[in-house]
Amino acid sequence: MKTAERIDTPAVTTSRPGRPAGRSLLRIGPWIAIPVRRTTVIAAVVTLLLLLGAAVATLSLGRLGIDPADLPSALMGEATGKNAFVLNRLRGPRLVVAIATGAAFGLSGALFQSVTRNPLGSPDVIGLGAGSGAGAAAAALFFPDLVPVPVGALLGAVIAMAVVYFSTGTGFRNPGRLVVSGIGVAAMSTALTQYVVYAVERDKASALTAYINGSLAARSWDDATTIWVVLLVCLPLAALLARPLSIGEMGDELSTGLGARPARTATAAVTLSIVLSAGAVSVAGPIAFVSLTAPQIAKRVTRSGGPHLVMSTLLGALLLVLADLTAQQLPLFDNLPVGLYTMAVGGAYLGYLLLREWKRPAA
Amino acid sequence: MTTLSRIGQGPAVVRRGPARHFAAAALCLLLLALALLASVMFGSKPTSASDVLRVVTGDGDGYLRTVVESRYPRTALGLLAGLCLGVAGTLMQGITRNPLAEPGLLGINAGASAAIVAATAFLGASGQRENIWWALAGALATGVVVHLIGTAGGGSGPVRLVLAGAVLSAVLAAFIQAVALSRPQVFDTYRYWVVGSLGGRGFDAFWAVLPFAAVGFVLAVLLAPALNAMAMGDDKAASLGISPARVKGAGLLAATLLSAAATAAVGPIAFVGLAVPHLVRVLVGADFRLQILFTSLVGPTLLLFADVIGRVLLRPQELMVGVVTAFVGAPALLFAVRRMRGAA
Repeated sequence: MKTAERIDTPAVTTSRPGRPAGRSLLRIGPWIAIPVRRTTVIAAVVTLLLLLGAAVATLSLGRLGIDPADLPSALMGEATGKNAFVLNRLRGPRLVVAIATGAAFGLSGALFQSVTRNPLGSPDVIGLGAGSGAGAAAAALFFPDLVPVPVGALLGAVIAMAVVYFSTGTGFRNPGRLVVSGIGVAAMSTALTQYVVYAVERDKASALTAYINGSLAARSWDDATTIWVVLLVCLPLAALLARPLSIGEMGDELSTGLGARPARTATAAVTLSIVLSAGAVSVAGPIAFVSLTAPQIAKRVTRSGGPHLVMSTLLGALLLVLADLTAQQLPLFDNLPVGLYTMAVGGAYLGYLLLREWKRPAA
Repeated sequence: MTTLSRIGQGPAVVRRGPARHFAAAALCLLLLALALLASVMFGSKPTSASDVLRVVTGDGDGYLRTVVESRYPRTALGLLAGLCLGVAGTLMQGITRNPLAEPGLLGINAGASAAIVAATAFLGASGQRENIWWALAGALATGVVVHLIGTAGGGSGPVRLVLAGAVLSAVLAAFIQAVALSRPQVFDTYRYWVVGSLGGRGFDAFWAVLPFAAVGFVLAVLLAPALNAMAMGDDKAASLGISPARVKGAGLLAATLLSAAATAAVGPIAFVGLAVPHLVRVLVGADFRLQILFTSLVGPTLLLFADVIGRVLLRPQELMVGVVTAFVGAPALLFAVRRMRGAA
């Protein structure tokens, strides 16, 4: 991601004033009252329905698809023969991984963008994706039998983030420094990756490149367990951060005045964001742009000032499932990694966002 | 122009006398000469300085002659590409006021890659010689498109340009990978090209890109005084009779030509365009005339030394210069981050 270079300019925000009307309280027992906006609830329900539709399509489309009529019974565990194979081995785990990975990327991006107040922020920007790619490449070249490629990817992501953390001198607190050291780490990682891709034989290089672009092909239930555990651990923590984050969006000084601790919130949110991304990357590779676009779409859908955590999570899942559906069913290309579709669509969407910003006066 | 000194050094705008500049220039020239010598001396078969001298003066046996002369093309390419990348970086950082601006930002790398991939896949292009032309065309075309997107919808701004470059790079990257992955033959060409290397290329690469580099360089030199005026702010520059928009446009055109030439000739190389302008500003301050002069000395020096390191490190194999610059440049950037002031 080269977008990182614009650290000198204030973040482009498209915040519109929130709508106080249409807000109601969701009460659970006498103590818990969560303010809920009607637009958001509707959006969440619609997104969930779309996700369900995309999931059904993923399982039933194509030559190997399960007939939608058979789907309910198959899901109840009564599938046999071809259907059982498709559901349990082929598309079932892949779909379950896609949902959780997309959700993790979406939430990760929302946390990161909220802290950096930069709509272009995502863990990719600070070199996580590139680092995991380099880890995967290094594992493939230097320890081909010792370290499995996904483990290498996870290690690469962790090392890259450690380097970023220590090189800034201020940890994850300062967004500007984060972005700049992310550029450095990404550059080294990319160079290493390209060198490995250059050095190994063509078939190996080709497989490695597919992985490095982020792929969901041939995922297992183990992968599904991994990413769901990461997601389920992180979700409650993210919920705890939601309030301090929304206060933080008012600016450091104001939020300090309100008794918040912006530096601590920033560190916690970025750390959580990185854990989510690293988890997602370890099962699916660095899939581009989901963590960048999901919060942006969420912001537009909910018409709120900052990234919306719940909507970003749901939209991330939806985006990735749709992208993977495309990767599976588009007859134009065979078996391209899903990351390429998200890259193309995400890039185009980013371009559209920018053009819209620019058309506005005094953007 | 304070943004330019944001990373690394303290205030860069310090008046320095001509005597100091002469001394600095002499030092830079000496280092460049050393880099050139090292570039023809070292390799899978090491030769001594006196060997090189003998070959240059027309002496030496045939074998020695072949060895030393085989290193001429890469030395020439290093000289040209280093100059191009450095000057392009200086122009971009000056115009966009972004201390992190570098040629890759204009989408040049992605454009050149995409053109090579497309030509190999759909037009059956093959071989170095053809690739250079495709890379050049792709790089220039992308540069133009980025400019068009960056100035779309009225108004213009350096930030938009950088973003447009990023967006286009992302979309092109998806295209490149998609084609490369579905066609193994294309993938093979691409993976060798994208690393960035001075080796394995002949003099034809040098001659092919030289005209573009020359036009870009001349344009850069001509623009230097105007860029100095603009450093005081667009309004001041306008009051001096300079059209800021025109200077920016011409400057970015020059940067595009220069970085397209470098990328076409040697593949994408990171950090030279980013680091050299910073080094030069420490050395000579904010005057663009001096900056461009010194960049043309420091850029090639760095690139040639990086190439020599790559050749010596893994002898008899070699590490491509693109890998070396990344692994030298990135830690330097990480170190500089610590000294960034404020929240940036």
